[in-house]
Amino acid sequence: MDGVRLAVLSSRFQGICQRMANTLMRTGRSGVLNTAHDFSCCILSADDEFVAADESLPVHVLSGPDIMARCMKEYHPALRRGDAFLNNSPYHGCSHPADHTILVPVIDDAGRHRFTVLAKAHQADIGNSKPTTYMAAAEDVYEEGALIFPGTRVQEDYTDIADIIRMCELRFRVPAQWRGDYLAMLGAARIGERELLAFGDEVGWDTLDAFVPAWFDYSEQRMAAAIREMPGGRVEMTITHDPFPKLPAEGLPINVVVEVDPEQALIEIDLRDNPDNLKCGLNLTEATSQSGAMTGVFNSIDHTVPPNAGSFRRVRVHLREGCIVGIPKHPYSCSMGTSNFCDRISNAVAHAIADLGEGFGMAECGPLLPPATGVISGRDPRTGEDYVNEIFLAHTAAGASPDADGWLTLTSVGSAGLCLLDSVELDELRFPMRVYRQEIAVDTEGAGRRRGAPGAHVEFGPVDCEMMVAYASDGTMFPAKGARGGGDASRARQIRRGANGNEEELDACTEVRLGPGEVMISITQPGGGYGPPAEREPERVAHDVAEGWVSAARAREVYKVVVDERGRIDHEATAALRGAA
Amino acid sequence: MRISVDTGGTFTDLVLEENTGRLQVFKAPTTPEAPASGIFAALETAARHRGERVADLLGQCELFIHATTLAINAVLTGSTARTAYLATEGHPDTLLFREGGRIEIFNFTVEYPEPYVPRALTFQVPERIGADGAIVAPLDEAATVEIISKLGALGVEAVAVCLLWSTVNPVHELRVGELLARHLPDLPFTLSHRLNPTLREYRRASSACIDASLKPVMSRYVRSLEERLRAAGLDGHFVMVTSQGGVKDGETVAAAPIHAINSGPAMAPVAGRHFARADLGSGDAIVADTGGTSFDVSLVRQARIPWTRETWLGEPFRGHMTGFPSIDVKSIGAGGGSVAWVDPGGMLRVGPQSAGAAPGPACYGRGGRRATVTDAALVLGILDPDYFLGGRMRLERAPAECALEEHVCTPLGLDLPAGACAVLKVMTENMVQAIQGITIHQGVDPRSAVLVAGGGAAGLNAVAMARRLGCSDILIPQVGAVLSAAGALMAELGDDFAATHPTGSESFDFDGVNSVLETLEKRAAQMAEDLALPPSDTQITFSAEARYAHQVWEIEIELRAPRFETRADVDALVEDFHAEHEQVFAVRDPSSEVEVIHWHARVRSRIRQRDLPPVQDPVTPAGHAARRVVFPGHGPVEAAVVEFASLTGTPSVGPAVVESPFTSVAIEPGVEFQRAGSGGLQVRVGQMQSEAAGLAAKSW
Repeated sequence: MDGVRLAVLSSRFQGICQRMANTLMRTGRSGVLNTAHDFSCCILSADDEFVAADESLPVHVLSGPDIMARCMKEYHPALRRGDAFLNNSPYHGCSHPADHTILVPVIDDAGRHRFTVLAKAHQADIGNSKPTTYMAAAEDVYEEGALIFPGTRVQEDYTDIADIIRMCELRFRVPAQWRGDYLAMLGAARIGERELLAFGDEVGWDTLDAFVPAWFDYSEQRMAAAIREMPGGRVEMTITHDPFPKLPAEGLPINVVVEVDPEQALIEIDLRDNPDNLKCGLNLTEATSQSGAMTGVFNSIDHTVPPNAGSFRRVRVHLREGCIVGIPKHPYSCSMGTSNFCDRISNAVAHAIADLGEGFGMAECGPLLPPATGVISGRDPRTGEDYVNEIFLAHTAAGASPDADGWLTLTSVGSAGLCLLDSVELDELRFPMRVYRQEIAVDTEGAGRRRGAPGAHVEFGPVDCEMMVAYASDGTMFPAKGARGGGDASRARQIRRGANGNEEELDACTEVRLGPGEVMISITQPGGGYGPPAEREPERVAHDVAEGWVSAARAREVYKVVVDERGRIDHEATAALRGAA
Repeated sequence: MRISVDTGGTFTDLVLEENTGRLQVFKAPTTPEAPASGIFAALETAARHRGERVADLLGQCELFIHATTLAINAVLTGSTARTAYLATEGHPDTLLFREGGRIEIFNFTVEYPEPYVPRALTFQVPERIGADGAIVAPLDEAATVEIISKLGALGVEAVAVCLLWSTVNPVHELRVGELLARHLPDLPFTLSHRLNPTLREYRRASSACIDASLKPVMSRYVRSLEERLRAAGLDGHFVMVTSQGGVKDGETVAAAPIHAINSGPAMAPVAGRHFARADLGSGDAIVADTGGTSFDVSLVRQARIPWTRETWLGEPFRGHMTGFPSIDVKSIGAGGGSVAWVDPGGMLRVGPQSAGAAPGPACYGRGGRRATVTDAALVLGILDPDYFLGGRMRLERAPAECALEEHVCTPLGLDLPAGACAVLKVMTENMVQAIQGITIHQGVDPRSAVLVAGGGAAGLNAVAMARRLGCSDILIPQVGAVLSAAGALMAELGDDFAATHPTGSESFDFDGVNSVLETLEKRAAQMAEDLALPPSDTQITFSAEARYAHQVWEIEIELRAPRFETRADVDALVEDFHAEHEQVFAVRDPSSEVEVIHWHARVRSRIRQRDLPPVQDPVTPAGHAARRVVFPGHGPVEAAVVEFASLTGTPSVGPAVVESPFTSVAIEPGVEFQRAGSGGLQVRVGQMQSEAAGLAAKSW
C-alpha cells in the first residue's frame, strides 16, 4: 500500500473518531462530557486490535479497548447489526467503573464483523455508595457500590433493552442526566458505525482489510526506529503515593523497572515487584496498568509514532495478577484506577527514561484530583433538584520536558491536557456555586532549565446551600519530582475557609461538607523541572518574573538570575551568581 | 457599477464590473504604511486605463466592497496595539488558562502559548455579578479609577473589559466604560458584552481583547478610507467583507474590527467553488491563493464552503480563539515576496517573512537586498522582466542574482539556477504541507480534487505543487490573480443578526420570541434597504439555535415561518429539532424538553444573476514568442510564451509560460494545457507524474 493511501486511510479512521468525539461533546448532558471532554472514542479491528483514536486520553485507550472488544465477542459470539454493549468492568478491560463504555460491532451487509467502534465516557454518577465516582477508601467493589457491566447487551436492532435502562435509572443519581449521557455515547458509537459502513462501501472492505496490517507494520517500524535512537539501559525507579486512607502512614512506594534495548528496538517495563491488591479503591485495572506504563513511553519518544497495536509490539509491560498495579482480582475495588497509581507509573517511566540520558524522558507531572477537579453534589435551591458532577476548574500539573516548560493546562499525565477546563460562568449557571478565585500560584513550580507548570490557586464554594466536595489530592505529601537536576514541585494544599474567615487545612483525601458562605481553597499540584535551574536562559527567567510566574527573590535564589525592579536582567550579577554556583 | 478591492500584503487587487457586464481587473502595489494609498493607486490605474478621472469612476460606483489582510497581518506580525485587559477580581488568568485543551498528546516539544494580553497588562477590577445578574460585590469605582490611571504610564493604547456575567447584567462593564471614556478619552476600548454577548468568559474576553487590540489601527483605517472615498466622489455603499464571508457596512467594522480579521481570504473559496464547478464539473476543490505575502488555502468539498464554528488565530489550542465562527481558510507565510535564507544549521528556509511591497523583492530595484521567490522566478526565466504587471513595472535581473548569490547560492554551494530552483522547491514543499493539513489529515485524498490556483504568484509553482500532491487537474481562472476580489463580486451579500432569548418548548414564550424575531427582521430589512439590495432577489430567513435540556451546545434549526402563532408551530420546531439531532448525532430524545437559546435573521441577496463575464485585458501583450526557462528538475529549455488571451480549447504541451499581465504560469515539459470554458487556463498534469507517494502519516 503506497504512502499516500496509507496516510489518507489512517486519517479517515481518525476523522471518524473525531466525528464520534464531536457527537459526544455536543450532545452530552453532564459537564464532565459537554465541557470537560473526559471521554474517548476509538476503532478496533475485527481481531480486536487497536487501530485508531481521535486525540484521546491515553489512559482511556492505549490498552483496554482491545480487552473489552474480546470480552464482547466471547460473551456474545453471534454479533448482529444493531447490537450495542455496555462495559465498565475493571475485571474485563475497562479503565475504571466510572468510564462507561459503549461498544458497537460494525457488521457489513454480508453479516461479517469488520470493526468495533467504542465510545468511553466518564459518568457524573455510577450509583456508588457515596455521591462520587472516586471511592479511594472503598473496602471492595461492594462498598464502592458501582453497578458493574462486563459487556452487557444494551441494544439490539438499534433499540434499547429497556430492562437494563430501567435498572440504571433506579440506581444512578440524577437519572435524566445519565440517560442523556448514555444517548450521547450511543450516538457517538452509531455515528462511528454509520461512517465506517459508508467508508467500507466507498473504498471496499478488501482495501480496509489490507490497510490494517500495513498500518500496524508501518507503526511498528516507526516505533522501532524511535527506540533505536534512545540511550539503552535499565533503571529501577521507586515512586511513592501519598498516605491515603487504608494506605500505610508513610505512603505506598511502587517499584517500576524500565529497560530500554536500542539494539532489539524493545522497551520492557516490569510492574510485578509490588504489593498485592489492597482493600481500597486505588487498585489499577489491567487496562490502566498497561496504559500508565505506555503513556510514560510515548511521552518520551518521537511524538509522531502512531500509537496502535503495531507500535505496541515494541513495548512489553509485565503485570502480575492480584497486584495493586497489575491485573486486579474480583472483588478488589478499582474506583480510582485511572488516576493515582496510574499517573504515578506514567511519571516513573518517563522519569526513568530521563535518567538514561539527557534530552530524553520528562520530569514528573503532578497527580490528580485536588478539590479544584473534585466531585461536587447537593441540592440546587434554585430548582429543588439534586446534582452531582465532577468539576474541572484550573488544574495544571505538567512536568517539564527537555524541550519545553510544563504545558500549563495538562491537568494530569494520563489525560494529556485533553480534558478541557470549565467555564466559570457555565459552572455557576449549572450549579449553586461561585468561583471566587482562579489564578496561577506564584513560585510553586518545579524549577529547571525547563520548568514545571506552577500550581493553580482556586477558591469556590456553595451559594445559599450546602455542598459536598469529594476529592483525593495525591501530591499533598509526595509532590512531583524534577528530572536531571530539575527541582521538585511544591505540595498540593486544600483549605476550608469558614464563613467567619478562619482557615483550616484539610486532609489529602476525603469528602467535605461546605456550609453556606464556606469556601474550598485548592492549591493544585505543580509539575517538576527538567535540568538544573541555574542553566535556564536568563531571558526566560526575566520573562517569568515580568509575567508574575516567579518572584524576583526566587529568580535569584533558585535560578541564579538577578532581575532589577524594572524587570531588566543584571547580567554581571547573574554571571557572578552562576559562576559561584 | 460595482468595485471590489482586496488589499493583500503585497498587492492591492481591484475588480470592476459594469452594469453592462464588462469586467476589468487591475493591480497596484500595496502600501503597508498607508493602505488607502494602494487602493487609490489601483483606482488611478483603472481610471487611467478607462480614460476617466477617479471621481468619474467612483461616481458610477453603486457598491464598493473592500477586503483587507490588514487586521490579520497586525496580529501575525505582533503589531497590534498595546492592550490592557480588565477582568473581574480573582480571575486574572482567563486568557492564560483559556478553556484548556491540547493537540498532539505525546508532543511535549511545544511551548504553552502566551496569553493574548500579558499578565503584566492584566488588571483585576473589584466587583462581582452573580449568575442571576445580582450584584454580589459592587464595583469599587475608586480602585477602578486607580487602575485606569496606571494605564497611560504603561503606554497602553487600547483596553478590553470583560467582567463575569456582564451578559446578564452589564452595569459594571458599562460603568467601567464610562470611567475609561472620562479619564482616558482618546483610548479606544471594547466592552465584552457589547461585542460578543456569549456565555463562557474566555471566548468573550478573547473576542474583546483581540478586538480592542485592532481598534487603533483598523478603526482609523476604515473610517479614513471611507472618508477619502467619499471625498473622491464615491456616492454608493461602502461595505467590508467579514470573516464570515458576509459584508458589513464600514462603520460597523470600524466599531468592531474583529469582524474583519479574516476578511482578506474569506471570499477566495466562493470564487474557487464557482470555477471548479463551471469548468470541470467538480464539487471538490483545493482553493489556493498565492499572493506576495501569504498563501491561503481552503478545501471546498461537495461544493460546500468550509466553515468553522470556532476560529483560532494560530493552531487550535496553541493560539487564541476569536469567539466567532468564520469561513475556514488556512494561511501560511509563503508567496512571491517570501524571503529565502539559510539558517544557522545550513538549511534553506523560505518565508514566513515577506519582503512585502516595500522594499519588495530585490528585482523590484527599490533597495530590497534579500532574496525572494520572485527573484528566483525571474532568474529562472519564469517571469519576463519587461512584462511584470503587464509591463507597468520593470524587474531588474542584476540585484536578483546578487541577492540569490549572497543569501542562497554561496552558503549552500550551488550555482545560480540550482539555488533559484531550490528556493521554488522549498516554497512548494511548505505549501504542500499546508494543503495536506486540510486534505490528507482530514481524510480527503488531494488526488480527487481540482487545484484552483489563484493569486498573482500562483503560476510560479502551481504545476509543481499539483505534481507533488498528485492532483491531475489545475485550474487558473481568468480572474485567478484577483481571486478574492472576484469572489466578493460573486458572493451573496448579506449579514446575520442574532439575539439571545432562552425559552423552553414546554413553556414557550410566544410573545417574547415573536418580538425578538420582529426586531431581527427589521434590522435585516434595514440592511437590505441600506445596501439597496433588489427586493426580488433578497431573502430573509430565520433560524433557532436549540438543544436538549442540560446540553450546552446548540444546533441550528431553520424556522418554517417568521413567527410562532400556535402550539403547532412550536411542535413543528421541536420535531425539526429531533430530526436534525438524529441526522447529525444519530440519536433523538423525544422525552427531553427542547430549549432554544439564540435566534437569527439572515438577509441574503444574490446580487449576481449571470456568471462573471470574461475579463477585458487592460494592456497589450508583450509579444515574445519564446524564451529560455529553467524548470526545477528539468534544466534550461526553450519554452513557448503563450498569451492567456490567445489560449484555445485545443490542448498544447509544455514547456511553456502562459502569461497575462498579472501572472505567469510555468508549464513544465510534457504537461498539457488549454483554455477552460470560462476563459481560464486548464492544466492537466496527469496522475503518473505524481511525486506524492511516500508521505509520512500523521500520528493521531
